[in-house]
Amino acid sequence: MSAIQIIFWFLSALAIVSALMVLISKNPVHSVLWLIMVFFAISGHYILLNAQFLAIVNLIVYAGAIMVLFLFVIMLMNLNNESEPQKNVWMRLAGAVSGGCLLMILVSLVRQAIEINNKVAEMKVGDIGLIGNLGKALFKDYLVPFEISSVLFLSAMVGAIVIGKKN
Amino acid sequence: MNAIILSALLGVVMMFASVFTENKIAIRNIAIFGLLILLASNLLNIYTPYSFNVDLHNMLRFDSFGLFFNSIAIVSTLLYVILSGSDIVKVGNYPAEYFALIFFVLCGVTILSSYNSLLMLFLGVEIMSIPLYILTGSDKKNLKSNEASLKYFLMGAFSTGIMLMGIALLYGASGNFNLEMIREKTSIAEFGILAPLGLLLIFISLAFKVSAAPFHFWTPDVYDGAPSVFTSFMATIVKTAGFIAFVKLFSLRMADLGPSYAIILPVIIIATLLVGNITAVFQQSVKRMLAYSSIAQAGFMLFALYTSNDLSTEGILLYAAAYSIATIGIFGILIKMKDYTFDGYNGLAKKQPLVAATNTVFLLSLAGIPLTAGFFAKYYMLASALKSNGSALWLVIVAVLFAAVSVYYYFRVIQAMYFKDGDAETTEIDGTFKFVLVVLALLIILIGINPSILLRWYYF
Repeated sequence: MSAIQIIFWFLSALAIVSALMVLISKNPVHSVLWLIMVFFAISGHYILLNAQFLAIVNLIVYAGAIMVLFLFVIMLMNLNNESEPQKNVWMRLAGAVSGGCLLMILVSLVRQAIEINNKVAEMKVGDIGLIGNLGKALFKDYLVPFEISSVLFLSAMVGAIVIGKKN
Repeated sequence: MNAIILSALLGVVMMFASVFTENKIAIRNIAIFGLLILLASNLLNIYTPYSFNVDLHNMLRFDSFGLFFNSIAIVSTLLYVILSGSDIVKVGNYPAEYFALIFFVLCGVTILSSYNSLLMLFLGVEIMSIPLYILTGSDKKNLKSNEASLKYFLMGAFSTGIMLMGIALLYGASGNFNLEMIREKTSIAEFGILAPLGLLLIFISLAFKVSAAPFHFWTPDVYDGAPSVFTSFMATIVKTAGFIAFVKLFSLRMADLGPSYAIILPVIIIATLLVGNITAVFQQSVKRMLAYSSIAQAGFMLFALYTSNDLSTEGILLYAAAYSIATIGIFGILIKMKDYTFDGYNGLAKKQPLVAATNTVFLLSLAGIPLTAGFFAKYYMLASALKSNGSALWLVIVAVLFAAVSVYYYFRVIQAMYFKDGDAETTEIDGTFKFVLVVLALLIILIGINPSILLRWYYF
């Protein structure tokens, strides 16, 4: 068993256990912290697949920005064990059924996909996730929308100041 | 390309103008000067292909249709700023920023008139909408303005989401954002429901932007709540730009939506005409009446989607010009009124004969009375429907009936101005304002006598 395989299995186990802990833990803040753990594990997988840029973006955007937003909302709403609304049996049943449907679709998709049957993920090859390629796509093929979206952001910023500034 | 780049730059210029001067008149004059430059650069673009040479990767395409519409939009904005500029600077504390936002909207409008890729359609719609949410809420102390802004923002965000979903489905069906490539690849009927569903979602989102029924519910509240100067801008330039985007996307692709499209569009046209006209009859406030009348006018503009021939292309351009000029004039006068109800107009003809006379011309044009621009605009729309499809006769008859209904509520204003006694209170009306009103009225009559004055520039 090579080092890469060991890391892969470790990260996979970490991701699955953390994902389970998100569901199991009673305290919502703990759930969020476990979710951050999941994102770190997935970012590790991205690095194994030679997609460093995606790994970093995944960390910055999900673990950084979105999770902070989650935490803020949870803290603002003051969710904890006591204030958690009582869930009745039907709610749980509906959740189990919809989650089960999703799981079934995912499993059947993986089973039916011909291309990935009996194949191992290729490590250290392929450069589609590298920042150089992204830069080339952005500044060559998609230069016009990239530049024009700056107008969008600028107008949004002007608007925020017009609306937000005290008179 | 000139107009896109320059309008964004001029927006930045307006932002910095507020740093250097507090003088509101100076800021207005800078904006007028900027619009003149923008118009000149756009005209230059028509005669010399590219002044800014950018590798566009086929994302934008500048044809005479789009460039001509740009000219109409820029001239309308120019007239609007000259007419109502002194009221724009009165709305709040940030006059220069309002003009900056107007320039950003124009940037979105120019993108929408020239996009050739769904990415640019999305960016154009967003650049056009986001400044409008702000302008709607710019009267910060007014609860109605705040409510309108929030409503517009939330509804607009949903419609954007629907559009993105549609774009994603189209991309899934064709693997491409480019309009021609999509047209090529999805014409083979192997993708099943994906492409028609994507088109339908984009259709819904654009119908929301141009306030076609049943996606019109935001229009009366937002138009009524927004400061009147900005309602004028939203109801004219922005709305017609939405139609240009609509026509560009759907003119060649109607058949792809399958046979259901032949049912959907007439239903939407009739619903829009019905809701707009019938509800406008019962309004007590002229501003709200104009909001419903803008829905009704959208019903006529939708005819440009129903058919796709040279008459409808000319017609939508003519309609854009005629409708924008008349509505800008009516709103310009409305802003000067102290009382927005019909009774507020009582006896205006005695106090301000010139203003009342020009207002009459604008209202007649919107109603589509001959010898005004509005008549030919409606005529082109209905004629194009008949030309392409003889069985559309019933639709044309319905539209004419609703046009007759619209005469009722437009003439109520004229009746109030001329035949009712009262003391119509206005704020101060200066000479420039009257002069621009006369220019607008003359434009409407000129186009109404001979629409080719306008349209021959299209083929120039």
